[in-house]
Formats: sequence, structure tokens, C-alpha cells
Amino acid sequence: MLSIASSELIQIFRNRLVLITSLIIPVAVCVFFVRQHETYAAIGSLGYIAAIVTFTVAAFGLYATAVTTLASRRQNLFLKRLRSTAEGDAGILAGLLLPVVVLAGVQVSAILTALAVVAGGPANIALLVVAVLATVAMMIGLALATAGLTNSPEHAQVTTLPVTLGVIAMASWVGITGTENLAWLKRLLPGGAATELTMNAWNGGVAVTDSLLLLAPTLGWVVVAVALATRLFRWEPRR
Amino acid sequence: MSTTPVIEVDRLNLTYGDFHAVKDLSFEVRPGELYALLGTNGAGKTSTLEVVEGHRRPTSGTVRVFGRSPDDRRAVRPRMGVMLQESGFSPDLTVRESVGLVGRLTRRTDDVDRVLDLVDLTGRSGRKVSQLSGGEKRRLDFATAVYGTPELIFLDEPTTGLDIQSRDAVWATVDRLRENGATIVLTTHYLEEAQQRADRIGLMHEGAFHREGTVSELTRTLPAVIRFSLPVPAPALPVRAAVDADGKVVVETFELQKDLHLLLGWAQDHAVELQDLAAGPTRLDDVFRAINS
Repeated sequence: MLSIASSELIQIFRNRLVLITSLIIPVAVCVFFVRQHETYAAIGSLGYIAAIVTFTVAAFGLYATAVTTLASRRQNLFLKRLRSTAEGDAGILAGLLLPVVVLAGVQVSAILTALAVVAGGPANIALLVVAVLATVAMMIGLALATAGLTNSPEHAQVTTLPVTLGVIAMASWVGITGTENLAWLKRLLPGGAATELTMNAWNGGVAVTDSLLLLAPTLGWVVVAVALATRLFRWEPRR
Repeated sequence: MSTTPVIEVDRLNLTYGDFHAVKDLSFEVRPGELYALLGTNGAGKTSTLEVVEGHRRPTSGTVRVFGRSPDDRRAVRPRMGVMLQESGFSPDLTVRESVGLVGRLTRRTDDVDRVLDLVDLTGRSGRKVSQLSGGEKRRLDFATAVYGTPELIFLDEPTTGLDIQSRDAVWATVDRLRENGATIVLTTHYLEEAQQRADRIGLMHEGAFHREGTVSELTRTLPAVIRFSLPVPAPALPVRAAVDADGKVVVETFELQKDLHLLLGWAQDHAVELQDLAAGPTRLDDVFRAINS
């Protein structure tokens, strides 16, 4: 698994397009949010900024990059090649996804640290970590499912749009309008509960036990995504 | 050496939707053997090979490799090397990185430099795979298959796109591996390769074996051929003959030695020169051509 992960890391850094879309763009967007934190804190809250930067990295840096990577490795039969070795399927997927997950983790940590430095830290760091991990898990599950519907890396630009735009929209909707109205709808749609959890962790003022209940919809989406992925994921290109 | 088969395939069936790609196929490959799986396009050989390699699950039937399920990657894969029909390397990795990565994942140990030298890619080791020619990619693929000298090697059209020197080099390596007892499963469109090297051949057509046996068992079923040109006019021939499209005389016979002797005696007696004389057993090509007729 680690051999695959290290070769994957080499490939990410050699491919300029992937590097730009997965690293530079999300970071640039996040830097903008952190710089303008007073404006966005006024519109929503600092917790909203924390949620939107997490989802920006998770959607573009992690999810879209993972789908593109998997589609590309399948298209040029690299997946088939890896499967003709002694490595198991789980090890292959873990190896392929580990670098993007680690890079996304590093990005989110760095940006949230920057936000904490310029605007004051979160109320509950442990809860924030849980919220970010749940978000990452959901996006990986969705990436595996989406990869099953994606025929090529070019096709990924289209197939990833519903989820990337959807979760960013959810984060903004929940972040700006809160969950006083339409609470259940907002919490059940993907990204809604994770946004609320992130906001609670950053802003404080909500009992931890109430916040932890918000994990359920996010983990529910992980289960749905993984179930879809086991049905949709393919190791070889369609002939 | 153990005589337990390396590969056992029993009543294998594989269907894709309505299409029955492999039908009730059974065969064995013994230790040290070079077994060639040949067939017309779409005959089901790649499908069969993919089941045996563990890339595809059979619809029904059983497949055993070293006595185990091909799905048992941890047990089976370290003992076998696979050369795929299409390369499957990442274009952004170098030749050295590709061999190193796939080699490590096979769980066998070897020296990357030795393997690169074996396929004459030492000078290309720092190049990205995307910069290789088609033939170089085939050699890279071969390098990963023989990394760590596995006991069983699958070669799916190994020499397609290779120049003659590379082809000879590949076969020289395969011969060395065989001297050390390796078992080889081969598919190829170059029938002379199979004719020269295969211990046994499974000849597939429409998902099943049209014939299976040694090269001579396969070719023995069809007549040998004598071909030559005759000056006109010529006296009557001592054997039954036909004239082909190029005007050459063609004699088909199951008694090559006797008929050739007769013909040469006749030519000597009548002072006739048999121009472009060629005589030989049936080639595998002819067995192939006979499939559809």
C-alpha cells in the first residue's frame, strides 16, 4: 500500500494540471475566505468560514482529485496492472487515495490554523477534528461511488459537478441561514449536518451531545456512498 | 519435479450478458510446460486467461492455480508473473519507478537494474513511460512479468509490436526461465512462435477448444503439402495434384516421405526441373485456416 501511495504522490507532483486543481485552487479560495474573514463572519459566522474552507478543500482538493485519479488510473489500465500483483483491492484503493487524503488533511489543518491565528480559535478543537474527519470520510465514499460513473479523467469534470457544487451550496446555505428553518432537510442533505457540526465546534454554545447527533447523517452518507461504490466501482474500462 | 498441474481449469463458463464467451472449457497446464492458448479473434482466449490470472470471476466451473483459487492473491501472485495484453503503466512514472513499484507489489525480490538490463531498457530507465515506443512498453511489461523469476508466467501476445532483435531477446529470456523450470502460458498471433516453442496448444474457437494437443498432434490431422512450378509441357505427374492461383502445382499428402520420393524419382527420370520446390508438414496456419472450412 505504501509503495502505491508513494508512487501516487510522485504522479500528483509531476502532473501540473492535477497539482493546480487539487492544491493551488482550493488553497487560493481558502486564503481569500480567511483574508475576508470579517466580511464572511458578518454574513454567517467564523464557524461558517471554517465549514466553507473545509468543504472547499474536501470537494476540490479531495473529492474531485480522487475521482479524476481513479478514472485516469482505470483508463490507462494502471488499476488492472496493480490488480495483477499480490496487493489486495483494499490496499490498492487505500494506496491510491492516501496521498490526496493526507494532502487535503494538511491543507485543512493549515488553513484552519491560519483562521484561528487571525480571527481566534475554535471553541472545541476535538469536535472540530471529528467534524473534519467525518467530512473527509463522506467525500471519500462519494468519490468512490462517483468514480464508478466516470469513464475518463475528462468525464470527471462533469460527473463531479453535482457533488462539488452541491456540498459547497449546502455549506453556504446552512452556514448563512442556520438551521432554524427547514432543519431536517438541511441536516439530511449531504454536507448540511457536517457544516452545522463544524460551526458548532468553532462557534461553541451548543451542547457536545447535541452536536454529536449531527454525525449520524454524515456517517449515513458514508454508508450510502460506500454501498453505491461497491455496486458501481469498476476496475477496468468499459469495452 | 512435482506432476501436480500448475493450472487446472474444469468446465469453465464465462458469459457477458447474453454472450457466452467461454463454454465448458477444461484443461491443465503441467509444471515446466509451455502451453499456448491460440484461437481466432474473439475465440475467448483473453477471457479464459483473465479468469486464470484472477482478473475475472468465472460464471461457472472451477479454476485452480498452484492448487488454489486465483482470487487468493496473497498466495498465488508472488509465484506468478503477468504480462498483460495492453500495458497499463502510469505515463507519469519512469521506467525504473514502474518496474520497482510493480516488482515490489509482486512480493518477489529482484534487482531492478538486472531486470532492466534483461529487456535492454537500461538506457531508458529514467524516461517517463509516456515517452516510450510501443515496443519499449511491451518490453517494460515483460520486465515486470519476469521480475523475481516467478514459477509461472503469463505472456499475452508478448512479441506484438517488437522488432526481430527484441523478439529474439524475449524468447532467449523465456528459454532461460524454462531451463530453470518455469511454466509458461502464452497467447500469440505469431503462429510460428507457438509452433516452434509450445509443448502443447489449446486451439480455441467460439469459446471452446477446437483442438488440443501437441503441435504434431494438431498438424497431423491435416495433409502435408508439396509445392513446385512445372515447365510446360511436362509428362503426367505420378501423384494426385492441383494447381493453385499462382500456377503452382500443389500436392496434398498424408504420406509426405513416400510421395516426395516418388516425385523426385519421376523428375529425375524425365529430366524435369521442379522449380521453387518446397515440401513440409502442415503448418499451424493451415490448422487455423481449416477451422472455418
